[in-house]
Amino acid sequence: MKPFAACLLFITLGSALAAEPGAEKLPYVYTKWKQFTVKDGLPDDHIFAVKSDGDRIWVGTENGLALIDKKTAKVVKVWTEKDGLPWRAVTGIDVDPKTGDVWLALFGGGLARLSGGRFDHWHQLNSGLVNDVVYGVAVENDNVWAATTAGASRYNTVTGEWTIFTEKNAPMEEIWNYGVHYRDGKVHLAVWGSGVLEYDVKENRWKDYLDPDGEMEIDLYRDDGIIHVITTGANYVDGVLWVSSYFGACRYDGRNWRGYYNMDSGLPSDFNNNLRARSGREAWFASDKGLGAIMDAETNTWVAYTRDPKSDSGKAVVMRDKTVLETVEMGLNLPHNFIIAVDVDDRDVFVGTAKGLAWGIGEGYYSGLRERPRMLAATRRDVK
Amino acid sequence: MKRLLPLLAISVMFAADTPKKAPANEPLVPPGVEVDEHTLEVLKRILAVGPYEVPDLQLRRDTAYAKTPVDYEPYGKIKPYKEHFLEQMQYWGPGRAIPEPEDVRTVKIGFIGPIMSTVSVATGGASHEESMGIKMLQGARLAIEEANARGGYLRRKIPFELVVTNDNGLWGSSGNEIVNFAYKDHVWAILGTIDSANSHIAIRVALKAEVVVMNTGDTDPTYIETNIPWTMRCIGDDRQMGYLMVDYMIRKMDYKRIAIIRSSNRYGRFGVREIKDSARRLGRPVVIEMAYQLGKDDYSLQIDRIAEVRPDVIVHWGDAREAAIILRQLRERGMTQPFLTSDRAVSKEFLKLAGPYADGVIAGYPWNPDSNNPRLAEFRERFRKRFNDEPDTYAAHAYDGMNMLIWAIQVAGLNRARIRDILATRVKPWPGVTGDIPFSAVLDDAGEVYLAKFEGGRWRYYSREDLQIPRGYIPPRERTARGLMNPAETR
Repeated sequence: MKPFAACLLFITLGSALAAEPGAEKLPYVYTKWKQFTVKDGLPDDHIFAVKSDGDRIWVGTENGLALIDKKTAKVVKVWTEKDGLPWRAVTGIDVDPKTGDVWLALFGGGLARLSGGRFDHWHQLNSGLVNDVVYGVAVENDNVWAATTAGASRYNTVTGEWTIFTEKNAPMEEIWNYGVHYRDGKVHLAVWGSGVLEYDVKENRWKDYLDPDGEMEIDLYRDDGIIHVITTGANYVDGVLWVSSYFGACRYDGRNWRGYYNMDSGLPSDFNNNLRARSGREAWFASDKGLGAIMDAETNTWVAYTRDPKSDSGKAVVMRDKTVLETVEMGLNLPHNFIIAVDVDDRDVFVGTAKGLAWGIGEGYYSGLRERPRMLAATRRDVK
Repeated sequence: MKRLLPLLAISVMFAADTPKKAPANEPLVPPGVEVDEHTLEVLKRILAVGPYEVPDLQLRRDTAYAKTPVDYEPYGKIKPYKEHFLEQMQYWGPGRAIPEPEDVRTVKIGFIGPIMSTVSVATGGASHEESMGIKMLQGARLAIEEANARGGYLRRKIPFELVVTNDNGLWGSSGNEIVNFAYKDHVWAILGTIDSANSHIAIRVALKAEVVVMNTGDTDPTYIETNIPWTMRCIGDDRQMGYLMVDYMIRKMDYKRIAIIRSSNRYGRFGVREIKDSARRLGRPVVIEMAYQLGKDDYSLQIDRIAEVRPDVIVHWGDAREAAIILRQLRERGMTQPFLTSDRAVSKEFLKLAGPYADGVIAGYPWNPDSNNPRLAEFRERFRKRFNDEPDTYAAHAYDGMNMLIWAIQVAGLNRARIRDILATRVKPWPGVTGDIPFSAVLDDAGEVYLAKFEGGRWRYYSREDLQIPRGYIPPRERTARGLMNPAETR
């Protein structure tokens, strides 16, 4: 075919597709889900933490730790206090990419490391851990950071040195740390009452992000900075900082802030327990009324996943700003709408709820938006 | 901190009791527990749902956060993008469907308060809140003992048990204590504490563990500004007392130059925040604010600076000891300005240290101990009989808070989420010994606050009406629903 003719055919086909009724640029929607509860071998249904680690999924619950094998989709091992887990409630998990060690934030039990089948345990009385109520843990090079209710601690796994960060040596207006995340040379702490603190590892320097209006009871302008000083999670990916809070969510690209509320986006609720960012354009929010995923930040396009409380079914609602573009009904997606933790890998999403774990399988996943026909309601019923 | 032995308040009648399962045909609420139609309807709704549903509980909605007058609103000339705390938080988790356990021999309620001396984070020396914490414990204990004398937990006829722990205050230990309450002691609700930093730590833990925390002694406004559906408070806060004090100083007395001296800890920092903001918004910005470290004996540096700016009135925010010493040092150098202070000054310690200088001192106060409330008179008598001492603010509010928890447990049964719901949705003000306690949408005590004035050798308590203190206009609509600069709504 001559180049001109090929080009003409391409344009014609393209025009025909674009003209197809219902075809528009839409985000990927997860329609295939698996669920895990106590019946499937989890030690408890109240999921506090989830971490995808290659072929494995680590699950921290209110009463034990579980390991799911992605290949078999089975719970293959469980640890409770009887099995050596130092404390029952596991609120944060991270995996050291160099050693494979699994680090656990224990809610009232300190910090633990699962290595070679053995648990090592650090707490206030045997280490420099500043408090035993640990909400989050993050591995940064040879260091392990713990976000505790009374400051942050950093443990150097090579030298054994501990460093404590509080209002004394970091810009923490309050010391109530909630979340910690490391990526691309920066540690981010989500601090209840002190916004987000950024620690530049190379420069050994702190930077704080606070609500510019300084008031608890209002957000004066949506996009003027972090939306509230009470934050629950912070993720830094592709040079973009994502923040969750009990007052909404926000995004900072290094130049501009953007706030998200239930009233102006697809965020299911302003009460967000945590978040996980997949990229600078996509982030997942663990809200008390469902799972909210902003799939394309540029166009404020969201997918909100909720479970029907009265049946074993769920739905996904695709929204741009607050306009519904598509509603996709499906079989059971989330075991519960109260979401506490979320993690993603390149394709899949893992959701810890107050009553079980959900695994969204991203067959054919694509990032951002793609031109595709709208899915018909109730046509996809992929059930476990 | 070594945990204290659980303090049981169990009368002999319970000694031989074994747990009893409630019969299937028992009434929704045990006889003898006062419950109105609204609460009964709430109970029916929360009992009807499974783990995946959330009942419609007709959540409260306020139109003005904390009854804030329009001229005290932050950024008053701008319509904010979003207002928080107007709509009541709901609990959306599955907890309501957890069945009441059968193997329960006592109904445990946690108490956390500063009852033993320790090292203070604020002072770096001796701790300073035990006198308040011990009174708080006495009030809570009396409520437990009285409930047990009435039959304990009526569904099972088993006693309530107070699980007591000290609020150490060091290294966030209150967080560890709440974890122990939730996962080791298995308490059904928690009462505490006083220090606001520790209270904040406690409620964040309680949020995750899903257990109610009733605060009866922390007046920090930000305590309930956290969107935690498990947090409530039955004592008037520093925001309300601050508004009243500014109304008194500026709207009534027309003082033009307000000076502040405060403790450098969180209590002092947050206590004066609304006073500073409100005075500025009325066009009378505070002329100086001096902070001091707790535990010092010489405040001449701060007083020198304050004297230089020639204030009309001096506001102090801190503990009783510092209030008295600063007052004495002000007066001894001839500074006669009116002295207003926080409620902690209303104490024996203040009067002892301030001596004759106490005369004329005014303090914000969260309730009226002189009220004719017969419940208060009876409470005082019972308290004296039990402890051979007078109850104070902390005792009275702890007594009210504990009775609210006990009532909710009697109505809801042994389920933490339902206990929360019953308290959070109560419409009628709680008839407390400290007065009627109505909840706001953020589950804060929205009742009246007072000014305490020391005159004629005793504290006298005055309401806004008693002193004819003007107040600003409180608009009936929220800010985002109002026009900007509507003269009718800004006067």
